[in-house]
Amino acid sequence: MDYIYSILTLTGITMIGVMGTYMVTGLTGQFSFGQAAFMAVGGYVSAMLTLRFNLPFPVVVLAGSVAATLTGLLVGMPTIRLRRDYISLVTFGFGEAIISVLNNSAQLTGGAEGLVGIPKRVDLLLVAVSVICCLFLVACYKNSKFGRQCLALRTDELAARSMGIDVNRMKLVTFLFASAITGYAGVLYAFYSQYLEPGYYNWTVSAEWLIIVFVGGINSLTGAMVSSVILTGLPELLRFASAWRILIYCIIVLLIINYRPNGIFGDWEISRLWKKRRAVLGGRA
Amino acid sequence: MLQNIFFGLSLGAVYSLIAVGFALVFNILKFSNFSHGGVMSFTAYAGYLAYIWIFDGKVTGVTMFVAVVLTAAVVGSLTAVGIERVGFRRLRSNQAPVIYYFISSITLGILLENIITIFASSNFYSYPVFFSSKNVDLLGTSFSVADFVTLLFSTAALGALLFVLYRTKLGLAVRTVSFDVNTATLMGIDPNRVVMATFALSGALGGISGVFLGMNYSLYPQLGQLVVKGFIASVIGGLGSITGAVIGALLLGIIEVGLIGLVGSGWMPACVFVIMLVFLLVRPRGIAGVIVQEKA
Repeated sequence: MDYIYSILTLTGITMIGVMGTYMVTGLTGQFSFGQAAFMAVGGYVSAMLTLRFNLPFPVVVLAGSVAATLTGLLVGMPTIRLRRDYISLVTFGFGEAIISVLNNSAQLTGGAEGLVGIPKRVDLLLVAVSVICCLFLVACYKNSKFGRQCLALRTDELAARSMGIDVNRMKLVTFLFASAITGYAGVLYAFYSQYLEPGYYNWTVSAEWLIIVFVGGINSLTGAMVSSVILTGLPELLRFASAWRILIYCIIVLLIINYRPNGIFGDWEISRLWKKRRAVLGGRA
Repeated sequence: MLQNIFFGLSLGAVYSLIAVGFALVFNILKFSNFSHGGVMSFTAYAGYLAYIWIFDGKVTGVTMFVAVVLTAAVVGSLTAVGIERVGFRRLRSNQAPVIYYFISSITLGILLENIITIFASSNFYSYPVFFSSKNVDLLGTSFSVADFVTLLFSTAALGALLFVLYRTKLGLAVRTVSFDVNTATLMGIDPNRVVMATFALSGALGGISGVFLGMNYSLYPQLGQLVVKGFIASVIGGLGSITGAVIGALLLGIIEVGLIGLVGSGWMPACVFVIMLVFLLVRPRGIAGVIVQEKA
């Protein structure tokens, strides 16, 4: 039972991370290969604040997310106004840089041996509540004025610009929001696993999240969530060897990209179910 | 001092091979090819296997080195052409948006890395020593032979590439397609063949740089992640510009060697990252100053 709990918890944390990636990729069409590094920032900042200054958990959670957002600002400011490739390259470099910093400040962060002794503050319930809250926030953001502006600029930046959308500002705001969410996921992970090591935040983690978003369908938040459950939860349960698991992911993605470029879910969202029903009911009345 | 600059140049030469291989594909398809790292680690292993299975005991020294590098280059071209076939051919015929190219290239990069992990496990292997650790004395300072050969070989490879690009019909076709695919097609150029040729060239460069990386570091599946150096070099030099990539890579090599002396090798990646950010703030076009417009 413990095993299933832990898989569910980790899947929940992955879902939150995937939401961050979904915002960056699905909404603004940018690619971040350093998303996991924001998770590292959130996790390490919060864990170190707890270990060194013994701050209460809610403060630490806030601090972790804020730190991730600030790092997002540092990375996003110079790059977001440039063409799309730059943000991918820079976030890639950012991920490597964060890992090297963590590895080399051993007195502070424990270096490659990892940071131990983090108290356990996170359980399945908290993760489940967090997933629901974050999902609510992201879904609202997607349906808000901002989200629609993002979708417009993703489809055609020039057209969006000429409609008066402040493209760079929207991209930056979305990127920061995503960093905050990912940082929060990092805090959850830190206080769940009680142990942090730099190697966990490799760029392959970020890439895996991107793949998850893509398999579900780049336009569909529902798709991203379903595929993160399927692609992280199931293999854990079925105990695939990890290298083979990623190999299978890659093949799935290649098939999808070549034969069904909109992903499994296309732009279908689960909220359409009740919207449609309401429309039908409204039609009758 | 002179010695450090020389070491930096030789490091930069390897980076420039990576950056140019990356810039070639960028030029023609207008996206950043993240599978290049996968090709690099794949070829580094291929070179090693060629050494164990074929060349070991038959040839030695420089001959061996040349044989291994050439094998890696050939394997690299084949891999890259295969990647193009699997990952990008259908996308191009569907005229898919750039995002899909991105995802496809990342996926292929990870795929190659994991194939290596599965078949070679994540152990470290070390390349044979091709050159005795002799030093050459020049201008009162001594340079290591390996650095010297690296520099020489990279220059030769780049020279060959430039010759192909600017003095042959194939090169003209490549440049035409990178300028405008539709017009090139109307002029009777088969874009499929040109794209394949570009991938082959870029793969060959990736192969050569893979072997050099394998010699400098040890051989492990994540070796290809050093492709990030190529990215940084092309950001500094200007995306898609081949001269820019070379200049950026040489600069990066010298900066890195300098930083290792100043702050140590641990903090070096972080410092390089900050330098890159500052560079993007001040001169986002890169040294070469070409602005590549995103296609609307």
